[in-house]
Amino acid sequence: MTTLLALDFPPVSHVTEWPDIFFEGSPLAINKVVILMWVSVAIAFVFMWAAGRNFQMVPGRFQGVGESFIDFIRNGIIMQTIGKDGLGYTPFLGTLFVFIMICNAWGIIPALQMPVTARIALPALLSIMVWVIFNVVGVIKNGLFGYLKSVLFPPGVPWPLYILVTPIEFVSVFFVRPLSLAVRLFANMLAGHLLLVSFAVLTTAMFEFFPLAAILPGAVLIAMTLFEVLVIFLQAYIFTILAAVYIGGAIHPEH
Amino acid sequence: MRRFRLLFAGLAVVLLGLVAGVGTAHAVSEEELREECIHILEEGGTVDDCHEAPSPILPEANEVLWGGIAFLVLLLLLWKFGYPAMAKGLDDRAERIRSDLEAADTAKNEAEATRAEYEDQLRGAREEATRMRDDARAEMDDYKAQRRAEIDAELAEYRERAKAEADAAKGQALADVKAEVAALAIGAAEQVVQKSLDRDTNVALVESYIDSVDARG
Repeated sequence: MTTLLALDFPPVSHVTEWPDIFFEGSPLAINKVVILMWVSVAIAFVFMWAAGRNFQMVPGRFQGVGESFIDFIRNGIIMQTIGKDGLGYTPFLGTLFVFIMICNAWGIIPALQMPVTARIALPALLSIMVWVIFNVVGVIKNGLFGYLKSVLFPPGVPWPLYILVTPIEFVSVFFVRPLSLAVRLFANMLAGHLLLVSFAVLTTAMFEFFPLAAILPGAVLIAMTLFEVLVIFLQAYIFTILAAVYIGGAIHPEH
Repeated sequence: MRRFRLLFAGLAVVLLGLVAGVGTAHAVSEEELREECIHILEEGGTVDDCHEAPSPILPEANEVLWGGIAFLVLLLLLWKFGYPAMAKGLDDRAERIRSDLEAADTAKNEAEATRAEYEDQLRGAREEATRMRDDARAEMDDYKAQRRAEIDAELAEYRERAKAEADAAKGQALADVKAEVAALAIGAAEQVVQKSLDRDTNVALVESYIDSVDARG
C-alpha cells in the first residue's frame, strides 16, 4: 500500500501475485495466471480451428478474420523479414502472435484484469524458445563455424575493430536479444496493467470524494483501456516480428 | 447481430454480479491491510501470503468496477464505430474474392467455349479434308474407270478396224491372186490355144509361161 497525494494505491504484489489455487506451494502450483494461459491456448486453438472448419472459397466473416490473420503473418511479417524461405515458419510465428495477443488481452477483460504476460515467466519462456530456434536454424543453415563467424565477425568491418565489435555482437546476439525480447513484452504489459489499476484507483478515490470529479480520470481510464488494446496488438506484433527478424538473420546472415 | 447482443447482455450481467459479489468500490487503507496480514499470519499463513492478491481470481473491487465500466464503454464505442468498418472490410474482402472467382470462372468458361469452338472448327476442317480426299479419290476412280472403258473401247475399235482391214487386205489379196490366177490361166490358155500342140508341149508352154510370169513378178 502506497499513499501518494492522499490516494491509497494497492501494493504491486496485490495486482500481480495471485495465490495458488491447486497444488499449492508445489512447483506445479496452478494460479489464476496459469489458468488464463491455458484458456488462451484453448481460445487460440478454437479460433483457428473454427476459422478453418467448413472452408469456403468465398470466406464468411469468421473465416475472413482467420485468412486475414494468416495473410498478415505471411505478408506482413515473414515476407518483410525472412523472405520466401521463411514461409515454413508461418505456423510457429502465427501461433506465437495469436497466443501472445490473447495472453495480453486478459489485462482488459473485466473481473479478470491480469495479462498473463505481465509476469516474466511466459515472456521469458517464449524468448528462450525463440533464442533456441534462431540459433539452431543458424547452425543448421551455416554450420557451427559459419554461423559463429557471421554473428561475431560481421563483414565489412575493418579487422582491428573486431576487437571491439566481436564482444559486443556476442553479448548482443546471445544475451541481450532474448533478454530484451522477454523484458520488452513483460515490462510493457506490466506497465499497462499498473496504469489501468492506477487510474481505476484514482477514479474510485475521486468518485468517493465527489462523483462528478470521477469523470476526468474515468475518461482517461477509458482512453488508457483503448491504448492498452493497441498495446495488446503492438506487443504481440513486436515480439513476433523480432522473432522473425532473428530467424531471418540466422537463415541469411549476409543480409 | 442478435447473438452478439445476447452475448453482450450476458457479459454485462456477469460483470455486475461479480462486482456486486465483491462489494462496493473502496480504496483499502494501510491499516486495513496490516490487520488483514496479521489475520493471515494468525491463521498460519506466511508473509508471502500477505503480498499476494487477496482473492485468487478477482482483482480488487474498485479495479473490477472501474476497469469493467471502462471496458464496457470502450466495447460500446468500438462496437458502434469500429465494428462496422471491420465488418465492411471483411465483407468487401469476401465480395472481392467472390467477384474475382466469378471473373475467373467466366474467363475459364469463355476459354472453354472458344476452345470447343476451335475444336469444332478443326473437326469440321478435318471432316471436310477427309470428304474432299474421298471425293477426289472417287472422282479419280471414276475417271480411271471411264478412261479404261474408253481405252478398252478404242482398243476394241482399233482391233475391229485392224481385223476389218486385215480381212479386206486378205480378200483383196485373194481377189488379186484369183485375178492373177485367172489372168495366168487365160494367158496360158491363150498360149495353148495359139499353138495347138500335144500334151507335153502344152505343159512345157504353161511352165515356160509361169516361169516368165515369175521372172516378171
